Amino acid sequence: MRRRLSIALRFAALCVLGVTVSVPFVWMVSASFKPRAEVEEARIVPRHPTTRNYPIVLDMAPDPVTQQKLGLRFGRWYYNSFFMAVGITFLQVLTSAMAAFAFSRLRWRGRDTVFLLYLATMMIPGVVTMIPNFQIMVWLRFLNTYHGIILPAAFSAFGTFLLRQFMLSVPPALDEAATMDGAGPWQVFWDVVMPLARPGLIALSILTFLGAYQSFFWPLIMLNDDQYYPMPVGLLALDSTYGRQTELIMAATVMNVVPLIIIFITFQRFLVKGLQLGGVKG
Amino acid sequence: MKRVFLVFLAIFAALYVGAEATLKRPKNDGIVRLRWATDANPARKVQTDLFHKLHPNIEVTVDPGLGGDQTKLIVQCATGTGPDIVDVYDEQQMVALVEAGVLLDLTPYARRMGFDPSKTYPAIKNGLMVGGRQYRYPCNVWANCVVYNKRVFDDHGVPYPKPNWTYRDFIETARRIRNTPSKSGQKHIVVANFSNQWFYDDLLVGYGGRFFTPDGLTCLLDSKEAIAAMKLYHDLMYVHGAIPTAAETATMSGQGGWGSSGLTWFSTGRAAMIFIGRWYIIQLPSYPDLKGWLGAVRLPRIDGRPSTGVTDTRAAGINVKSPYRKEALLFLQYLASPQYSKVIVDDGDSLPPNPALARTGKDLANKIVPDPAFHQPFIDAMRDAHPLDVSPFVDDGLVMRWLKEHIEKVENNVMRPEDAMHALAAQINQLIRVNLERRPDLQRKYEQVTGRPYTQDWWRRYQKPQGAPPPL
Repeated sequence: MRRRLSIALRFAALCVLGVTVSVPFVWMVSASFKPRAEVEEARIVPRHPTTRNYPIVLDMAPDPVTQQKLGLRFGRWYYNSFFMAVGITFLQVLTSAMAAFAFSRLRWRGRDTVFLLYLATMMIPGVVTMIPNFQIMVWLRFLNTYHGIILPAAFSAFGTFLLRQFMLSVPPALDEAATMDGAGPWQVFWDVVMPLARPGLIALSILTFLGAYQSFFWPLIMLNDDQYYPMPVGLLALDSTYGRQTELIMAATVMNVVPLIIIFITFQRFLVKGLQLGGVKG
Repeated sequence: MKRVFLVFLAIFAALYVGAEATLKRPKNDGIVRLRWATDANPARKVQTDLFHKLHPNIEVTVDPGLGGDQTKLIVQCATGTGPDIVDVYDEQQMVALVEAGVLLDLTPYARRMGFDPSKTYPAIKNGLMVGGRQYRYPCNVWANCVVYNKRVFDDHGVPYPKPNWTYRDFIETARRIRNTPSKSGQKHIVVANFSNQWFYDDLLVGYGGRFFTPDGLTCLLDSKEAIAAMKLYHDLMYVHGAIPTAAETATMSGQGGWGSSGLTWFSTGRAAMIFIGRWYIIQLPSYPDLKGWLGAVRLPRIDGRPSTGVTDTRAAGINVKSPYRKEALLFLQYLASPQYSKVIVDDGDSLPPNPALARTGKDLANKIVPDPAFHQPFIDAMRDAHPLDVSPFVDDGLVMRWLKEHIEKVENNVMRPEDAMHALAAQINQLIRVNLERRPDLQRKYEQVTGRPYTQDWWRRYQKPQGAPPPL
């Protein structure tokens, strides 16, 4: 009886938590189907549901305020967000894996000191390094380019740390056996360590992709031309002194989060497993 | 594993090639492309398109920032890559940008090109200048009035507010709306306020109060005018029930009560009045039910004083490092032109910067609100409005945040109005002392404004101006 009660209580608590977490998402979807007049009402179900917000965002219908199309380049921004996130994820996972291999499997003088220094960069707030980083981008003539967004994000102390923890959990005997069979460090990296670090690689890929896909501040500062914008920066056009067009922001956001949801649901188990392993091994 | 990485590399490369191949490269067509750091909104497109039509060899593109957040501007200007034209939202920000060497001194060009301070409202003239030199010209200008919904007044059988009304009349109107059941049976609130801080600022200026002494060395938010304004704000909530209390606000905000939600509350016919600028009508096309039902009247006045409130402007300056200075100056000239004024009039984005182009309500009548009588109070309000004063010795943003915190304490009955204002003024004065102690540039400024050498205990010998503070 007591056990049943305990389960029921836990179930109820989880239900409350689940509902609390879901409400903003449900509200977002609901607001995307509301006319402007209803958008800030507390009710979830719209009184006069409409789908017209979606064609307005997609620039297929005029804005009711100006009677003109908003000129939003939704498709382009969607593509940019996706493409930049793929690029950042690919490069960051690759460079982090290589750095993690060097810090975990190769022996060289000062390795641990360099690793600590590398980790220490995680303690520096982003705003402190923003102007120096931006200045470097200016010197490299990367302002208003895709590589100005992708390259600075291609290296990550966190990713290196996460993958190093994974690689430390791979038994050294496997490397030694491979080396005795004539494998060089490059082969050990690709053919022995990387396959065994797969959960960590997937977890890092998901985390990096989610972060890069929603990245806002660096693209905002780096980009001046709207054809380069990722979605979060493009959506600024709907939040101005003209008034916040919440229903349009919500319609755009609903379309924007679809890839994230698909990726998260598909790779959820790897993410959880990866984070658990990364958290306990060392 | 190598294959997986190779596949991803191929996908990334393909996407990169696709992205680069579909970019529209700037053509070598002799057109100068200016960047304007402002908020990205549909009105900007209309404004920049018209400018391009008038100057076919210049194109202006909007470079959006983050609302009032100036991080992008600061980072870009610090590295010499800032935009050509910069929207400057207040006097404090203008002073900071001038001191950082970002803004171009417009004085040598403004008179010749027709956008000097005499081409805008006298009230905001000083807000365009630093040390007698002009650094910006308004994109638009606003002062608050009371916009009311005639349908709600008719529904309750209450007469519309009359020009020259007082807060006593406002309280009586509120009482009648609250106590007379509507014929339709629908419930209405009296006021859907847009911003509690704006409301207080208008009351403060209405009482003849100000934030600082003219030298900026002492905060005057503990003056009898400032306290009276806060007391009236409190009483309008708790004694007269004319504006929503904090608890009512909390309930309403979930249903669209305050802030941008307050706009929705009024726009959907659930409130009788809103204290706001002419820019409110931008949103009207989304609320066709309100068409023909709106009236406007100047802010109520304090007994024995004229109706007055706060005015402010969003004004554009030029980046001193812009390679296209001549073209950017043409853009500022355009802001003072009848063509630009017409755009502002038509879309309802507050008042045009050049008062010569908005002399009467007839000049402002547009498709959204064709009745000139609606627009006239906004013009009249500009005539008597004052900008809020700032102190060079303290961060304006911080002052505003602290003021907001203290307004909220009064709204929630955590502090009495007089205690809140004394505490706020003491807090600001303390910060002025600390800033002066720490910053040699402010010490030099102190010496400029007082004509005395700076000493650490300057405030012990400082003589606060006696009697009523000089009006703004």
